[in-house]
Amino acid sequence: MKRFLKWALLIVVVLAVCALGAFLYFIPPFFTTAPEEFGKLMQAAAPKVDAIADPAERALAERGRYIVVSTGCIGCHASNGPQGPDLTKYLAGGAVESQTETATYVSRNLTPDKDTGLGRRTDAEVKRVLQSGVFPDGHVVPSTNMPWGAFSNWSEEDRHAVLVYLRHLPAVRNETPEPVPGKAVTVPGAFDEEHAWKDYSVREAKPTR
Amino acid sequence: MRGLNWRASSAAAAMAGLILGCAIFFGRAQVGAQARGKAVYDKHCTECHGVDGKGDGPGASYVAPRPRDFSSGRYKIRSTETGSVPTDDDLVNSVRHGLYGTAMPGWDRILSDADIQDVVAYIKSLSPQFATPPKTVSVAEGTPSSPDSITRGQQVYEKLQCGKCHGTDGKGTGAVTTDFTDDWQQPLPAADLTQPWTFRGGATSRDVYLRFRTGMAGTPMPSFADAASDKEMWDLANYVVALGRKPVWSMTAEEINDLYARQSVEAKANPVARGKHLVDTLGCVLCHSPVDEKRRMLPGMRLAGGVMFRIDPFGEFPTGNLTADKDTGLGNWTDDDIKRVITRGTLRDGTRLLPFPMDWGSFSTMTADDIDAIVKYLRTVPPVSNKVPRPRYYSFPVYMWGKFKLLILGGDPPMAIFTGNAGTTGGVR
Repeated sequence: MKRFLKWALLIVVVLAVCALGAFLYFIPPFFTTAPEEFGKLMQAAAPKVDAIADPAERALAERGRYIVVSTGCIGCHASNGPQGPDLTKYLAGGAVESQTETATYVSRNLTPDKDTGLGRRTDAEVKRVLQSGVFPDGHVVPSTNMPWGAFSNWSEEDRHAVLVYLRHLPAVRNETPEPVPGKAVTVPGAFDEEHAWKDYSVREAKPTR
Repeated sequence: MRGLNWRASSAAAAMAGLILGCAIFFGRAQVGAQARGKAVYDKHCTECHGVDGKGDGPGASYVAPRPRDFSSGRYKIRSTETGSVPTDDDLVNSVRHGLYGTAMPGWDRILSDADIQDVVAYIKSLSPQFATPPKTVSVAEGTPSSPDSITRGQQVYEKLQCGKCHGTDGKGTGAVTTDFTDDWQQPLPAADLTQPWTFRGGATSRDVYLRFRTGMAGTPMPSFADAASDKEMWDLANYVVALGRKPVWSMTAEEINDLYARQSVEAKANPVARGKHLVDTLGCVLCHSPVDEKRRMLPGMRLAGGVMFRIDPFGEFPTGNLTADKDTGLGNWTDDDIKRVITRGTLRDGTRLLPFPMDWGSFSTMTADDIDAIVKYLRTVPPVSNKVPRPRYYSFPVYMWGKFKLLILGGDPPMAIFTGNAGTTGGVR
């Protein structure tokens, strides 16, 4: 009987270790998902524009949606859920933290929420960030953290279309912190001694807050 | 007599002292303004214009046109004669309202008027050209816009052969070429005159008149002060303003859809231009061009790859060389090979990429035409030899330990981006 218990215990421990191993191995299951699924996921996550009443706004928002989805804004501006980035709260921000030698930036809430999102920003303020990374308080987010250098090449009309789409997203309340200055980044063991300078940016996806 | 002399000389001395005092006071004030201006500049301007004002900040390589090099003293937007520096008011206006159609924003709600004056004083101190005072052009009373003036302006447009660069319709149709470079060898397309909201210095008749009158320094746009009379230039300005079309934000739904349909026809007719626009706006350049320790793009390495990404716990993934180089770039890749990476994250040898930071999941939502356009453009990127190492996945135990740290212990940074080039440029080494 004792012997049986011993064996049972051993089997349970082995199973638990295997289960933990499998859990660690398969989450997140990038390689068990077909490549075609990722694009569908990105398409499905972005709210549709069909419900917009004004036809001109709808046409603009459709263009804006194409740009926002294909550019992959959601890659950084996702919200955090218990399972990591939560695509259902589209562009609510907060999931990604990026650091430079001088400051830490957390992806902002781009939904039209009045207190925490773009609802508190004027059209000109939103466009200015997309054009030049300049926030209303005057700080400039580095072009290597938020790629506004690329977005500044959008035509003014496309920038407007993006803005119109962002204005029609479902509002999500999600407080995202202001940039924290003065945080130095050090990642030991850079890739190659000859080229090893230093990292300039670390992104951190926190599964839970 | 002696008394008078003494009084005169003391008065002269007092005057001299007063003048000297004023000079020192204003000189000091100027130096104070420059010092204050430098503080404003260092806080707000260096990301694009660089710490030395040479227009080489970290953001400079990604935006078109490139930011101004303040050491040259050459400015496009002036109300002064050709070859002269701009007035303080010109500079203040550019800072306050920004330069439309570029990455330069308007600072009027962010910086106070005093800050803007100070930063202008500092910018002027960066170039010796400002030792010569500006020669302002005198702008006479203009001709108000009228159908007659516009018709005359059209004749001037033809006489001065504006269409050679701007096209007969103002947007390049029938132009000899619209692709130019500025004095800094940066690509500079001729302005599309049907989109007045992109006119750098503003879109009133007076703004446009000043561009003809003064020319745009550093660009192929000359001054027409010798080739046309003042009246002709005003007519031309009225004509150019009249060329402007409605922007999308004042269009009806039908007009917007018409415009988008026209744009997609143009994109199909010129896929390389469309592809360049997509590569520039999707941020490809950001990860596929190595930067130095100050985050400035290494010269000549645009799209040459070699930026090292360490993504815990998966491995090390240097970005690929996207130039058309046969040995180290995409030169030997088929169109389908390239498309498979962009839309399915699968390399030629079947290796699958993570869904980040190379965002192929998002890129796959583009239309087939746009993907084609990107491939066609990448074929035209000048080859740069830069042999980038293969992605390296961590061994199984390291991967498991990384996952354990990440998911169970928490707090480990999953992605680090390194400066420098992980590849071997030109096969040296």
